[in-house]
Amino acid sequence: MLIKVGSTANLGLETIKVDVEVNLASRGLPGFDIVGLPDKAVDESKERVRAAILSSNINFPAKKITVNLAPADIPKEGSLYDLPIAVGILNSILQFQIPDKSLFLGELSFDGSLRHTKGALLTALFAKEYGFSNLFVPKDSANEASAIKGVKVFPIENLTQLAGYFLKRKNIEPVVYKEILNEPLVSAEFDMKEVLGQEQAKRAMEIAAAGGHNIIMVGSPGSGKTMLARALPGILPPLSEIESLEVTKIYSSAGNIPAGGSLITRRQFRAPHHTASLAGLIGGGSKPHPGEISLAHRGVLFLDEFSEFPRYVLEAMRQPLEDGHLTISRSKQRITYPADFMLVASANPCPCGYFNHPKKNCVCALRQIRKYQKRISGPILDRIDLHVAIAPVDTIEFEDNQKKSQIIESSEAIKQRVVLARQKQEKRFSALGGFAPSGEKAIQSNSQMKNIHIKKYCKLEKDVENILRQASIKFQLSARSYMKMIKVARTIADLEGAKEIAISHMAEALQYKSKIYESA
Amino acid sequence: MEKVVEIEDEKYPELLKKIGSQAPKKLYYKGDWNNALFNNCLAVVGSRRLTNYGKRITEQFVTEIAASGITIVSGFMYGGDEAAHSSAVRAGGKTIAVMPCGIDLIHPAEQEELYNEILKNNGLIISEYEGKLLPVSWMYAKRNRIVAGLSKAILVVEAGLNSGTLITTGYAKKYNRKIFAVPGPITSEVSKGTIKLIKEGAEIATEAKDILKFFKIEGLPMSHKNCATSEVARADSLEQAIINQLKIEPMEADTIARTLGVSAAKIGTTLSLMQLKGIIQQEENKYYII
Repeated sequence: MLIKVGSTANLGLETIKVDVEVNLASRGLPGFDIVGLPDKAVDESKERVRAAILSSNINFPAKKITVNLAPADIPKEGSLYDLPIAVGILNSILQFQIPDKSLFLGELSFDGSLRHTKGALLTALFAKEYGFSNLFVPKDSANEASAIKGVKVFPIENLTQLAGYFLKRKNIEPVVYKEILNEPLVSAEFDMKEVLGQEQAKRAMEIAAAGGHNIIMVGSPGSGKTMLARALPGILPPLSEIESLEVTKIYSSAGNIPAGGSLITRRQFRAPHHTASLAGLIGGGSKPHPGEISLAHRGVLFLDEFSEFPRYVLEAMRQPLEDGHLTISRSKQRITYPADFMLVASANPCPCGYFNHPKKNCVCALRQIRKYQKRISGPILDRIDLHVAIAPVDTIEFEDNQKKSQIIESSEAIKQRVVLARQKQEKRFSALGGFAPSGEKAIQSNSQMKNIHIKKYCKLEKDVENILRQASIKFQLSARSYMKMIKVARTIADLEGAKEIAISHMAEALQYKSKIYESA
Repeated sequence: MEKVVEIEDEKYPELLKKIGSQAPKKLYYKGDWNNALFNNCLAVVGSRRLTNYGKRITEQFVTEIAASGITIVSGFMYGGDEAAHSSAVRAGGKTIAVMPCGIDLIHPAEQEELYNEILKNNGLIISEYEGKLLPVSWMYAKRNRIVAGLSKAILVVEAGLNSGTLITTGYAKKYNRKIFAVPGPITSEVSKGTIKLIKEGAEIATEAKDILKFFKIEGLPMSHKNCATSEVARADSLEQAIINQLKIEPMEADTIARTLGVSAAKIGTTLSLMQLKGIIQQEENKYYII
């Protein structure tokens, strides 16, 4: 007797249909085999399914059971086939009708209950696209999957309940999507107003957030670099619906959505330590897994102690920084993960950290300092639009000099301007096709503009261009820096709500030109 | 072909010979030996950890002094020496670098560009050692006696206590050469040496004229200063307020913003424009009036 149960396989963010074919042969010695390139986790599914069925007080058939995962040439991994295999076997015993157009996924526990399984959202998306109206997933994964409208998502607690439903003895209500905050209520550890001084750096953060620009901060230990970075999530614009889905897809495929979790609605802030491996940061492994840069998609990747990261790890970020996605190539498969993130880096000016410190003495030799600063390569620095020097704040001097007329803004106030600036950009670039899936042309923020976009959207008045020309001679700006300045000026103009880039915008942009790590 | 001047040679600098038994027997050199180079020598020495203040002062002094035809002698180390040599070269003046190592070695190697610039501008590289002898710590100190010995006077911009610079001034004192010291903030580590010198009787130098007077040369009128003042005259009110602040001391953008109570964005814009107009200059985060 042959039973076919529908399921899926997730290769990176791509989903394909997998038919779980269960054959129970009356002839032959009793046994249980799985074919169709199962990995270890799939192969062990035999034991889980057997135990789960027995725990549900159903006799496990003493027959020769063969399971085929078709198409047979694509490697299958993970524990999600437990449920479809169990459903196939139960069907042969209990003789119920599996509803048409159904997909199953879920990991079984020995007691017959179902555990949270990764990739439910991807399967739900697939179900919607290919017209599968019923999706049976573990209860803990159901909310995540139900974010996709138009698919009935059945939350399964255990095998007994599912069998009861198929035998029409019990009813299971499809889940209604509920938004649950996966993250703590406050998005940032610090509010911008808690950061003492650093007016210029705060302003740079605002510009970075508004235009999605990469930013590097260089300064002595204790000057507030990390605090500024940690305050950044508080001024980031919210994720749009499409962006939210993009991000959740990555997290779902990596199994990073907690049980009962919903869509990710906030820009993610990832801060990997500098001992992170290449595969951990960029993605990869023998079974490709998204790295930190993909988990930071549409969000922030904060690399503290930038110059302590191994050089080859940083260099590997060059391509994703440019393209916004990363393709991991293996002999058997190629997987593309989106990685459109905003890089926030912080570094010390020298090994001891006190180069140019007003109070403390730097103990490094000039040669050491030069060597230290060379650790970050030119091509990487070139991809960073905003360069800020962070000077240590003298608390006493700060209190004395603080004028009442100067308003210290909260994150919320800054965020409002950022959101408006983002809306302007979205409107500007919507003509380009907005969110084309992995399309080359899709851009959302000023930082992503290529030279043709700059020509089109950043027309410079004669006098503005003159300022930039003068500056590029005076400060010896490279061609790339020249373009960077225009992009940053565009964002500053957007923050102000100006249609054209004015002299004042360009002049301010010049403040954030790369000056650190070049002069010494 | 080895270029060398021996102590018996007529070409050997008179002033250096006067230091007696300590005078090097042989001087290896690179460049064109021209005795006029040794007529009026000023040693300019400073800390390897020159602050921005020291760097600016060195540039300001040396530019004017070298342009007046005085030869700038220094030790080709980074920091103070480097600033002295490069300012002299840029002013089109003459300069002599006394190396602590063999004549065929460029040390420190990072300053190869400056080394070539010195030679290109009719300067001289000299050393008492031949070949590619590597420098060891005692050789730096010994080299300093040549720097002092060649010069009629010595200008110290910044120096720490127990620094090589103070070794040079020690030699200068021994050889009866005039010592000028530039005062700096008493809190600074690299001002402690200069302050010590001043306490011990060194002459205070606050402008290039102080030194030129010693060499009996009239200072040249500095033309670029005049054009800067005319720019200042055209500055608007915020620019004027910034100028007033920076006249007191160099500041970071944040401090200016705070003191004047203006937003960082506005300050940034104004500072950039002032930089382009050539009113102010930024170095290591701080802004200075040119």
